[in-house]
Amino acid sequence: MKRSQLIANAAVLAFFLFMLILAFELQEVRRFGEVGSGFWPLLVLSSATLLSLALLIKEWRSKSPLKEERPEVKEGPSSEGRKKVILSVICLLFYVVLMPFIGFILSTLLFILPFVLTLGERRRWVLALSPPLITALTVLVFAKFIAMPLPKGMGFFAALSRLFY
Amino acid sequence: MFLPQNLLALCLGGLWGLMAGALPGISTSMGVVLLLPFTYSMSPITAFTILVSAYCGGITGGSITSILFGIPGEPSSVPTVIEGHSLAKQGRAAYALWVFLLCSIGGGLFSVFVMMAATPLIANFALRFGPPEYFALTLLGLSVVSGLSGGSILKGVLSALFGLFLAIVGTDGITGVERFTFGTTILLGGISFVTAMVGLLAVSEIFIEAEEPFKEYQEASGYRGMRKDLPKLSEFKRNLVNLIRSPIIGTIVGALPGAGATIAAFLAYGEAARTSKNPEKFGKGAVDGLMAAECANNASTGGSMTILLSLGIPGSNTTAMMIAALMIHGLQPGPLLLGQRPDVVYGIFVAMLMANLFLLGLTIVGIRIFLQLTRLPYSVFSATILILCVIGAFGLSNSVDDLYVMFAFGIIGYFMRKQGFPVAPAVLGLVLGDLAELSLRRSLLLSLGDPLILITRPISAVLLCGAVLSILYPLLKKPKALKEV
Repeated sequence: MKRSQLIANAAVLAFFLFMLILAFELQEVRRFGEVGSGFWPLLVLSSATLLSLALLIKEWRSKSPLKEERPEVKEGPSSEGRKKVILSVICLLFYVVLMPFIGFILSTLLFILPFVLTLGERRRWVLALSPPLITALTVLVFAKFIAMPLPKGMGFFAALSRLFY
Repeated sequence: MFLPQNLLALCLGGLWGLMAGALPGISTSMGVVLLLPFTYSMSPITAFTILVSAYCGGITGGSITSILFGIPGEPSSVPTVIEGHSLAKQGRAAYALWVFLLCSIGGGLFSVFVMMAATPLIANFALRFGPPEYFALTLLGLSVVSGLSGGSILKGVLSALFGLFLAIVGTDGITGVERFTFGTTILLGGISFVTAMVGLLAVSEIFIEAEEPFKEYQEASGYRGMRKDLPKLSEFKRNLVNLIRSPIIGTIVGALPGAGATIAAFLAYGEAARTSKNPEKFGKGAVDGLMAAECANNASTGGSMTILLSLGIPGSNTTAMMIAALMIHGLQPGPLLLGQRPDVVYGIFVAMLMANLFLLGLTIVGIRIFLQLTRLPYSVFSATILILCVIGAFGLSNSVDDLYVMFAFGIIGYFMRKQGFPVAPAVLGLVLGDLAELSLRRSLLLSLGDPLILITRPISAVLLCGAVLSILYPLLKKPKALKEV
C-alpha cells in the first residue's frame, strides 16, 4: 500500500511540475500594466508543486503504513474487484467510442449486457430483459418525450436509428 | 411557477432527488449533476424548479435508507442511521420515518423563509464587493471545502488546486492566449465543468462501486406501512427548544461556503446530545437526536441557496452545480442577479417553498417506490446511471468530444478517490477558478500590481482571515492532526 501511495504522489508531483514548466512560457504574454496570462497558472501550479512535494516527503517519511491511521486512503481492492473495475472501464470506453459510429440504440444494447455481467449479475431474466428494456426506456424518455438529441451513427446505422428517433 | 410544467418539474425533481438521496452509491450532488444537461432546453424557472426540488428531495431521501436499512444514503444521514435505524430495529420504523419527514419539512421551510428575507439584504451588502472581495470569497469557499472534506487537509488543498488548474485550461479570456490546450481543439474552449463534474462525481462513483461484491436484495427493518405508529404532538412539544435550535444551526452552517448538510447535521446532533435530558438514550434510538439531525440537514439547503443567490458562492457541493446551471442559462451568479433577474430568484424562492411542502406527499410515495426499486438489481442501476451520464454529456453540445472528456474525468475521479484525494474541492475549484483568476487580475490592475490591496480592504481582509482559519482550525482543534497534514 505504501509503495503505491508513493508512486501516486510522485505522479502527482510530476504532473504539476510538468505543467509548471509549461506555464513559464505564458508569463510574458501580457498588456502594459497587467499581469500576464502566465501569472495565475504560475501561482496555482507552483503552490500545487510545493504541496505535492510536501505530500511526497510526508509519505516517504511516514511510519504508519497501517490503513487505520490513514483513513483517507481506501483499502486496496481485491484482485476480483480490480478486474471488475478494469472491465467496467473497458465497457464504457467501447461504448463511447462505438456510439458515434453505430448510433445510440445499438451501442447501448451492446454495452449493457457485458457491463452487468462484469458487475457479477448472473440471473438470466436480468441479462435477457435489461438491455432491451433500458434501451427502449431511454429512447422513449429522452429522444421522444424530452426530444434530446442522441447520436444516430453513420451510414446504415444512421438510417436504422432514424426508424426510431 | 404554477404552470403545469413547473408543477410537474417540482414532482419529478422531488422524486428523482428522493431516489438519488436514498439509493446508496448515488448522492444528491450526483442526482443534480445528472439532471443538469437535461435542463438546457427548459426555461430558467422550470430548470431551477426541477433542480432545487431534486436538491431538497436528495437531502431528505438520504434518511429513508438510513432508517430502513441502516445505510446512510448521504453523509449527512449518519446521525439518522444511529438513531433512526435503532428505532426501526425496535419495530418503530414508521414512527422514525414520520419524525424524520416532519422535522425535515419543518427545517426546510424555516430555512426557505430565512433565505427569502436574507438574500436581498446580503445581495445589497455585497454590492460593495469589488474584485479583491470576490477573490477573497472564492478563496474562503475553496479553503473551507478543502479543510472540511475529510481526511488529509493537504490532499484537500491539492484537489482544490487541481480544480483551479482545470479552470485555466483553454483560452485566456483577457489576452486570448491558449493555455494548456496542447494544440487540440477539444481543449480550446476549456473544460466544460458540467462534463467534468459528471465524470468526477458520477462515473467515478460507478467505478468505485464496481469493486464491491455483488449486491443482493435487502429486507427493510421493521417497516409495516406508514399508517401505523404516528408520532404524538406531545413529542414535538417536549422537544421545542431542540426544534427551534436545530434549524437555526442548519441554516447558518449551510450558509458557510463549502460547509453543507453533513456538518449541519452533525453539529445539531452533537448539540442535542449535549443538552438532552436523556443522553443515555443517544445511540439507541433517541428521538431528539433524530429530530435535531433532520431539522438541521434540511435547513442547510436554504442557507446554501442564500449564499449562492446573494453572493454567487456555493454553500455546498450541490449548490456548486447550481452555479453551473445559472451559467448554462446565461445568468451571472452574484449580487446583481437579484436586480437583473428577480423573476428567476423569486421563482427559486417559491420553488423551494413548494418543494418542501410537496415533500410530505412525495416522500410517502417515494418510500413505496424506493422499497420496490431495492428489489431491482444494482447492476441495472449502475448501467442506467452510466447511460444517463453519456446522454447528459452528449446532450450539452451534441459533441462526441464531451463523451471522451467525461470518460477521462471518470478515470481521474476514480484514481483521486482511491488515493484519498477528495473530489469535491476539485469540482469547486473548477467552478470558481475563472472567477478567482479574473478577480485577482482585476484587483492587481486596480492597485497597479500591489498585492496588498487584498489585505488593506477590510471586507477582503476578514474573508482572507476566514480562509486561513478554515485551513488552520482543524489543525488547532486536534494537535495530533499536525502529523496527519
